[in-house]
Amino acid sequence: MHLARLRLRDFRNYAKLDAEFVPGFHLFLGRNAQGKTNILEAIYLLATLRSFRGVGGGQMIRHGAKGYFAGGTVVGAGEHEIKAYWSPHERQLTLNARPVRKLSEYLGTLRAVVFCTEDLQLVKGAPRIRRRFLDLLLAQTRPGYLSLLLRYTQALRSRNALLKQSVADDAQLDGFTRGLVELGNELMSARRELVPRISPLARLAHRRVSQDSEDLKLEYRPCIKADFLLELRQSRGRERVLRTTLLGPHRDDVELMLDDRAAAQFTSEGQKRTIALALKMAQAEYLSGIHGTPPVLLIDDVMGELDAQRRAGLVPLLQQAHRAGGQVFMTCTEENWPRELGREIIRWEVNSGSLTAVAPGAVAPIPKMPGQGAQGE
Amino acid sequence: MASLPDPVVRLVAALGRLPGIGPRSAERLALHLVQADPGLVRDLSAVMNFARERIKTCSVCGSLTEIEPCDLCVSTSRDPTLLCVVERALDVISLEKSGTFKGRYHVLGGKLSPLNGVGPEDLRIGELEKRAAASEVREVILALGTDVEGDATGHYLASRLVGCNVRVTRIAHGLPAGSGLEFADELTLSRALEGRREL
Ligand SMILES: Nc1ncnc2c1ncn2[C@@H]1O[C@H](COP(=O)(O)OP(=O)(O)OP(=O)(O)O)[C@@H](O)[C@H]1O
Ligand SMILES: [Mg+2]
Ligand SMILES: [Zn+2]
Repeated sequence: MHLARLRLRDFRNYAKLDAEFVPGFHLFLGRNAQGKTNILEAIYLLATLRSFRGVGGGQMIRHGAKGYFAGGTVVGAGEHEIKAYWSPHERQLTLNARPVRKLSEYLGTLRAVVFCTEDLQLVKGAPRIRRRFLDLLLAQTRPGYLSLLLRYTQALRSRNALLKQSVADDAQLDGFTRGLVELGNELMSARRELVPRISPLARLAHRRVSQDSEDLKLEYRPCIKADFLLELRQSRGRERVLRTTLLGPHRDDVELMLDDRAAAQFTSEGQKRTIALALKMAQAEYLSGIHGTPPVLLIDDVMGELDAQRRAGLVPLLQQAHRAGGQVFMTCTEENWPRELGREIIRWEVNSGSLTAVAPGAVAPIPKMPGQGAQGE
Repeated sequence: MASLPDPVVRLVAALGRLPGIGPRSAERLALHLVQADPGLVRDLSAVMNFARERIKTCSVCGSLTEIEPCDLCVSTSRDPTLLCVVERALDVISLEKSGTFKGRYHVLGGKLSPLNGVGPEDLRIGELEKRAAASEVREVILALGTDVEGDATGHYLASRLVGCNVRVTRIAHGLPAGSGLEFADELTLSRALEGRREL
C-alpha cells in the first residue's frame, strides 16, 4: 500500500499542505524546526489516529487555529479516502466519505511503522511501552483484538472504581471480576502466541544491523502465572488496602534478552539503539508477512544516530520495502542523508511549513534573491 | 459580532440538555424553531406536553404505559412463571416485536456502571427480588446488553437472586459482543431467547 496524497490544514506548522507521493523512497530534507517530523506525525496519525509523540489532538492544532484537518488517499487493494478533523469541540473521521463508527473498522486502512529516537524507550523504558508495542501489533494483525483490549480496560477501570469506594461491595466486584478474567485470559493467549513469532524476526533483524553474533530474544512475561481468577482472589486483601487491581495483563511485560542476559541492564546505549531498531524492523516484517504488503515506513532522525555499519544494515530493509511497491518516508538534515541510496531517492525540501520537490540530480536548491525573478525571460 | 437574542440562548440551553444533542445541533434546532411556522411550534409543544402527561412507568414492571399497571402486567394470556429482565423500557418493545416471549417483564432502568456512579441502589433491583420471590415465578431470564457492564450486571443479579428459589438464565450469546438489545434484529432475538442458558 502507499499514501498517494496528503492534505493538511492548520496542522502543526502547516497552514496548508497538498502533496502527492508516488510509491518509493521519499526523503524530507531541511534545517531543524522546519516541519519534517510534523509530516511523519501526520502520516502516522492517519494510520493510527494518534501521535507517535504521545500527545493529544490539541497540540497538533496550528497555533491560533481552531482545529486541524488531516486527509489522505491510500492506494492498496482499492483506493481509500481518509478525512480527519479535530478540534476541542468537534471530531470527525470519515473513510470514503462515510463516518467511521467503529475504530476497528478503520484501523488497517493505512498501516505504518515509525522509527524514531523515542524507540529507545522500548529497551530502557517501563513495561507499559513494551505492552503498547505488542498491543499495537496485535491490533494491526488480529481482528477483534482492539475491541477486546478496550473491553478489558473498561472492566479494569470499573473494578478499580469499585475498589476505591468507601464501602466494599463484594457482589458487585465479583460481577466485574468475571469479565476481567474472561477478557484478560483472551488477551494473554493472544500475546503468548505473538511473542514467539516476532522473536525470530527481531533476532534476524538484529543480526543484520549489528553484524555480530549476539542473539536477541523476546520473552513474554505475563503477570499471571497460572490461574487469573485464583491469583486475583489471593490478592484480594492487598487490593483492599491499595484500592486497585494488582494483577492482570495490564501488568504484563516482554523481556528483551541479549545472549540470555536482560538487555535493559547489560547493554550499552549503542546496543540498546540497535535492539530498538531490530524490534521495529521485526514489526514491519511481521506486518508484511501477515498482510502480504509492506507497511509504510516512517523514519525520523534515525540515520544520524547510527554508525556506518549499522546504517549499512538498515539500508537493505528500506530498499526491500520500497521495491515491493511500498513506501518509505525519512527525515534527515542535509549532513546525514543516506547518499548510499543515491538515485533511488525522491527528495523534498522542507522549509518552515512548506514542501517542495527537489528535481532529481539537483543539489540543494538555491534560495531566490529578491529582484532576480524576471531576469532572462 | 451580534450575539443571539436571550430567548434563543435559553432555548439552545434547554435543547442541549436532551440526550444525543450537542451544542451545535441544539443551536441548529433552536434557530430552526424560532423561524418556523408558529402553528408548527405550538403543535410540537402540545404533543410534547400531551405525551409527557399521559405516559407513566408501570409501577410493577417499569415499562412505559398509559394505564397502571400496564397491559403486559395484567394480561392473563402471559405466562406469570417467566420473568424477563431488561435494561430499558425500549428493550421491552424490541422483545415484543420478536414475538417469541410470552412471559412478563422487569425493567431495571439501566445497568451497573461504577465509572458513571450507577450502583445497585440506582436500579430496580429490590423490586425484582420481591417479584422473583413471589411463588408463581419459576424462571428469571436476563436479557441484558453483551458489553462489560451488562455482563457484570447479569452476574450480580444472579448472586442477588440466589435465595429466591428461581432458575436464573441468560439469553444466548448470539448477539454481537459489546452491544445492547436494540441492535439485534428480531430473528436473532428470538433465537437468543430460545437458546437461553443457566447462569
Ligand atoms: N501546534 C503548532 N502550531 C504551529 N507550529 C508548531 C506547532 N507545533 C510545532 N510547531 C512548529 O513546528 C516546528 C517543528 O517542526 P518539526 O518537529 O517537524 O521539525 P523538524 O523539521 O523535524 O526539525 P528537527 O530537524 O529539529 O527534528 C517548530 O518550528 C515548531 O515551533
Ligand atoms: Mg524532527
Ligand atoms: Zn407493567
